[in-house]
Amino acid sequence: MSVKEEPSGLFDNEDSEAGGESPEGDTTGAEVMAAEESLLKKFEISVSEAEKRTGKNAMNMQETYTAYLIETRLLDAHNEGHSSLDCLWRRYSEFELLRNYLSVTYPFVVAPPLPEKRAEFVWHKLSADNMDPDFVERRRIGLENFLLRVASHPVLCHDKVFSSFLSQENGWKEALNETGLQLKTDSRLKSLNATFRVKNPDKRFTELKHYSDELQSVISHLLRVRARVADRLYGVYKVHGNYGRVFSEWSAIEKEMGDGLQSAGHHMDVYAASIDDILEEEEHYADQLKEYLFYSEALRSVCRKHELMQYDLEMSALDLVSKKQQCEELATGTVRTFSLKGMTSKLFGQETPEQREAKMKMLEEQIEEGEEQLKVQNEESRDFVQNAWLEIERFKDQKNRDLKEALINYAVMQISMCKKGIQVWTNAKECFSKM
Amino acid sequence: MSGSSTPKSLPSSGQKSLHDIKHPLSCSPGADEECDGLVVSDTPSPELLHTEPSSLGDKDLSLPNGTPADTSSPASSSSLLNRLQLDDDMDGETRDLFVTVDDPKKHVCTMETYITYRVMTKTTRSEFDLPEYSIRRRYQDFDWLRNKLEETQPTHFIPPLPEKFVVKGVVDRFSEEFVETRRRALDKFLKRIADHPVLSFNEHFNVFLTSKDLNSHKKQGATLLSKMGESVRYVTSGYKLRNRPLEFSAVTEYLDTFALKLGTIDRIAQRIIKEEVEYLVELREYGPVHSTWSALEGELREPLEGVSACVGNCSTALEELTEDMTEDFLPVLREYILYSESMKSVLKKRDQVQAEYEAKLEAAALKREEKTGVPTEVEKCQDKVECFNADLKADMERWQNNKRQDFRQLLMGMADKNIQYYEKCLTAWESIIPLLQDKPEPK
Repeated sequence: MSVKEEPSGLFDNEDSEAGGESPEGDTTGAEVMAAEESLLKKFEISVSEAEKRTGKNAMNMQETYTAYLIETRLLDAHNEGHSSLDCLWRRYSEFELLRNYLSVTYPFVVAPPLPEKRAEFVWHKLSADNMDPDFVERRRIGLENFLLRVASHPVLCHDKVFSSFLSQENGWKEALNETGLQLKTDSRLKSLNATFRVKNPDKRFTELKHYSDELQSVISHLLRVRARVADRLYGVYKVHGNYGRVFSEWSAIEKEMGDGLQSAGHHMDVYAASIDDILEEEEHYADQLKEYLFYSEALRSVCRKHELMQYDLEMSALDLVSKKQQCEELATGTVRTFSLKGMTSKLFGQETPEQREAKMKMLEEQIEEGEEQLKVQNEESRDFVQNAWLEIERFKDQKNRDLKEALINYAVMQISMCKKGIQVWTNAKECFSKM
Repeated sequence: MSGSSTPKSLPSSGQKSLHDIKHPLSCSPGADEECDGLVVSDTPSPELLHTEPSSLGDKDLSLPNGTPADTSSPASSSSLLNRLQLDDDMDGETRDLFVTVDDPKKHVCTMETYITYRVMTKTTRSEFDLPEYSIRRRYQDFDWLRNKLEETQPTHFIPPLPEKFVVKGVVDRFSEEFVETRRRALDKFLKRIADHPVLSFNEHFNVFLTSKDLNSHKKQGATLLSKMGESVRYVTSGYKLRNRPLEFSAVTEYLDTFALKLGTIDRIAQRIIKEEVEYLVELREYGPVHSTWSALEGELREPLEGVSACVGNCSTALEELTEDMTEDFLPVLREYILYSESMKSVLKKRDQVQAEYEAKLEAAALKREEKTGVPTEVEKCQDKVECFNADLKADMERWQNNKRQDFRQLLMGMADKNIQYYEKCLTAWESIIPLLQDKPEPK
């Protein structure tokens, strides 16, 4: 399959430019990290443009989608006298593929989320159309933020597939396939959805999973209510706009009061119009919250992966124990527990010593193998827990920093709204006082 | 026969003037406007057409139309007084009659449940035996007073009472808010009368303020009321006015538009309150969500709790705003809407008095060709019209002044309430900024 042509290249993602808002226009979180981490020191990454395109998908059906222009600039390029700028177009589904790859390849990483596929938590003034310019713009910001998050991540930033995502418009998909992503995705991710019964769950991960569930529910609740709050606030402001008209009409029949009424009406118009900007700005706050709504899913995914790993480990250990038991049974000739093997040997007589020898030998080999595997798994698990815990600590810091920042921004927005309100009403009062 | 005896300008086609006469308390501005045009300028009354020939023969036939006659002399003197006192009244220093309505009490009887209000009077006027009175009155009594004033002072704008009927189920008539709103309106009603240079000297007003037994007075007036009703009805015949003073047409037109605009403002204000109440409901949920979240967090706990408390403070401020607007803003609008309706009905009466005068003048002119001398009846009528006009002009001026002051105060109050609301929110949000910044990055 061709990677070159944009439209059909990555058809296996159901997306054809769905969604609307993107989380987080704010890059401060990523910027702070950039100071610590490598890639962003050398590069400047931006998603600078969005373009509507039409093409054929894998089913040879016409589809419309949006492509985004990624610009990567080498920061010390000016020394060499020529600009080293990589420009290439990617579509949302390719971003999705990249994220899947990262999430599978680095299971312990709380993978940065993509902007939402479809507009959620919208209030009535916002259009839910995926092609709406405002949403494309919001998604553009969200995608840029995603790239910055990856680029500033201590582990993800070194990834080769990520680099080629930024630099090779063609051939990137092949590079991706070489990593065996498909295989991994198929074998492991699918089973993720199964319910595992882990005997000795790691309490820390259980708690973390619980936390991410609660976080997800509380943020989505918050976003739902905020959308309704925005709706109502919009109503309050817009209805005031009617005063503008009626004051103006009324002023026509008044003598002394006329001028004051007329100009007060003007201020009411201003008041009603001011809500548009206020709520548009607030939408960025909602996007910031949305990013963490999706982050909570990523957090849960790390927990699930840990669960899966623990489950595998426990299964291997169990298997080893039963093999050891079999081996012991063969060696001593005793059957400790009721088993099919015990039954058959009782019913059909004892095996020949040779057979027993061979069996025992095979079992011992398997035990050795199993022990080796268990050791590896244990190490893997230890590494995973260690890495994941580092990552989670990093994530928590990032989250606290980002959300505090978001809350401050929100408070600042509210302050500015209050100041605007005071200003308008003071002006109106001035007019009324002259009546 | 009518063709020869009536003014040429009157076509004899109109048949509907009687049906179109609105009850004075009717409050549909649109319909009134229509009605006004039909009655006053276009349609002659069939009644008038029929009675006029006989009035040629009998000068005294117009006596039943005596409503204005009763008041013509007091009205003329009072209009003089009115003009003299107007200036004094404006600076408020010569006020010598102070009335307040307070202390509503609920009375539960076997037959009915009602509210009475205490009416307190303080005065230095010699018309009052005592300098202070305190009596209790119920809505019905106020209604009686207003009717009496309308009867006895037909040439003046009588301030409106709050609406009598409230849609059942929507408002509890005995709820604290309803009673308080009504109390304020009744208080305003009496204050407007007390401040009026003519109305405040009305004997019924005096009785209302002072009498321990208002019911005996009420019974006394009953017969008079029915008589008045009749005579008023008699006069309400339509007639095209020759020289309707432009200013009165302008006032009617003004009042129509004014009432219309106030109606719109009233609807807008109610809608805003509704939106604000719904906004409040959402805010009440919005704040606590932050608290729920804060319980999950460590470092973010305080900031989130701060936001939660802040949203709570803003909700309280919003609630105060909507309460203030409901209690202070809406009733004033309603009062002025009712005011303009009752004023329009007085203006209509004025037109009728003028119509009567013009009809008689017309008749007299025809007569003069046969006999000699100017009929005194016509002169009386002319006096009536002139007094009416003078009273109304003075009242209108007063009203315009009051209105201007009331609306300046009302609208500035609205602006103030909103400013206060935003200031409270501003303080709340500003106070949490340090909380959000308090713990710098442990880096």
